[in-house]
Amino acid sequence: MTRAETLSIALPALVVLALIIAPLGLDPYGYTLRILCLMLLFCAMGQAWNIVGGLANQISLGHAAYFGIGAYSSTILFGSFGLSPLIGVFVGMALAALFALVLSLPTLRLKGHYFALATLAAGEVARVVANSWTSLTGGPVGISVPYRPDAGFWALQFQTVLPNYYLFLGAMVLVSLVFWRVQTSAFGYRLRAIKENETAAEVIGVNTYRVKLHASLLSAVLTAMLGTLYAQFQFFFDPDTIFGVATISVKMALIVILGGAGRLYGPWIGAAVIIPLEEMANSYLGNSIAGLSQFAYGVLLIVVILLNPRGLISLFESLRDRLKRRQRA
Amino acid sequence: MEYLIILLQTLLDGIMIGGVYAVLAIGLSLVFGVMHIVNFAHAEFMMIGMFIGWACWHFLGLDPMLGAFIALAVTFGFGMVLQRVLIRPVLGAPQVAQIFLTVGMLFALENAALMIMGAEYRSVTTPYQTQSLTLFSHGAERVLVGMDKLYAFLMALLSGSAVWLFLNKTRFGAAMRATSQDPMAAKLMGVNTDLMYAVAFGLGVGTTAFGGSVVLPYITASPAVGSGYAVLMFTVVVLGGLGSVTGAIIGGIAVGIIQSFSALFMPIQLQNLALFVVFILVLALRPEGIVARRRS
Repeated sequence: MTRAETLSIALPALVVLALIIAPLGLDPYGYTLRILCLMLLFCAMGQAWNIVGGLANQISLGHAAYFGIGAYSSTILFGSFGLSPLIGVFVGMALAALFALVLSLPTLRLKGHYFALATLAAGEVARVVANSWTSLTGGPVGISVPYRPDAGFWALQFQTVLPNYYLFLGAMVLVSLVFWRVQTSAFGYRLRAIKENETAAEVIGVNTYRVKLHASLLSAVLTAMLGTLYAQFQFFFDPDTIFGVATISVKMALIVILGGAGRLYGPWIGAAVIIPLEEMANSYLGNSIAGLSQFAYGVLLIVVILLNPRGLISLFESLRDRLKRRQRA
Repeated sequence: MEYLIILLQTLLDGIMIGGVYAVLAIGLSLVFGVMHIVNFAHAEFMMIGMFIGWACWHFLGLDPMLGAFIALAVTFGFGMVLQRVLIRPVLGAPQVAQIFLTVGMLFALENAALMIMGAEYRSVTTPYQTQSLTLFSHGAERVLVGMDKLYAFLMALLSGSAVWLFLNKTRFGAAMRATSQDPMAAKLMGVNTDLMYAVAFGLGVGTTAFGGSVVLPYITASPAVGSGYAVLMFTVVVLGGLGSVTGAIIGGIAVGIIQSFSALFMPIQLQNLALFVVFILVLALRPEGIVARRRS
């Protein structure tokens, strides 16, 4: 094994190890742990988006649809039929796959701006449906996950935040492994061929439609799974947050782009920066000025794009290369 | 005869509101046509136009139809600055950068408005809001048009024609069209393409702000009002063909008529849903019609 290869395995292993140890010193009911939970969850969401948005450069602005479908499916099944979220999560994943399949018919041949516009509208369709189908979703007032702490793991509810933390860590590692597996496989090469030049990819025999469809399905299913986890963690949500363009769809993409699109560590870096920053802004500024945190969020997006559209990871890399060159000299 | 009256009334309502949709969308189409950028933040300029129109009415006692010209001027200048500072750096960049830059602008503008103006709804009162014109009557049945809608429609018609004349009948407009077709060739012919881009963006957001002000008598202003019209504006331009002014006008009136007829038998929530679905389908079925403009 070369040094670079050892490093590429040792580094993420060290990060995960640190993440396993990290909460041991923290208050198991604490605020800090909750933020770490959200960080892991959003990292996983970014990674799921990264499969389509990063590798194939299909910029989806409608991933909230899958996230919300996952959250609503398990919550409604649990609330109305007492079905464990451990089973409900699979129903949500199946429904999200179905939604992705239906959506792929009109959208997958679209490129760039047009794909972004169509997926944006699709996310809004999901939000409007959830708001108006009151008998099923509870409508705009939102929906609560019934609190059954006695049911334990079966209800996917815990006395402290700690089990949630490890659950989210597991999910993050799982989604990252899926991404890594995709990235390094022939499938990943095909996706990147589409990103570089779709026509050329088609000419050399890549079935671009099928490749994009498979990536979308995978991404949708993973996102829905995370939606269920989010619902079980928050216990309450409403259509405008769970299907939100700013709160979910764009945030997923922003995390990836800030860190580095199409890169395994992109969402790790992005989530590690954005989520704590956001929480800090919220706790210091509170709701004293409505709109300030979202305003800051918009400005951050603009700044990232103008300064370094390739993400923070490229900053680290150029720094590392410079150090190496100095060592050699 | 009753049915005919209802039909005529619905058609008329559709045309009136459609004319306004057209003027809101012309700007979006213009920005795309000249710069090949889809401005996700575009609907926010309608909101800005509404607030400028409202401020002119509230502080200066100016009618929103006149305030619209101030909205146009102010937003034109603001748009030129935004183009210089934010849009120009991403003109040649990958589409991802363009998409997220304008999405960032969307959040920044909407929430800046929220911070400055607060979340409450603001409306104007004008003497003509309650008046209407009877166009046709048959016994007790009448076909009416509200004066506020009629004025807004006429103003929309005025600004739409002005933009069309500017683009098609002036030297400056010709230079702008040249820039849209082939920036390199235009540059070689001595066209200042940077200026064209800035003016196109300023004019694009300016016309949309103008449209925002003229609808004030019947749509209340709030920071979130733009997001509610974003998909509608995109549907209009996509229907008519992105980048074409005439297309935007036809698309606007078509969407207005579709909306007023669907209001006859659908609750409001489902109307929005129908609009989204139409939008996705149009994107899917005519992708080449959207991108490819006639090149002569």
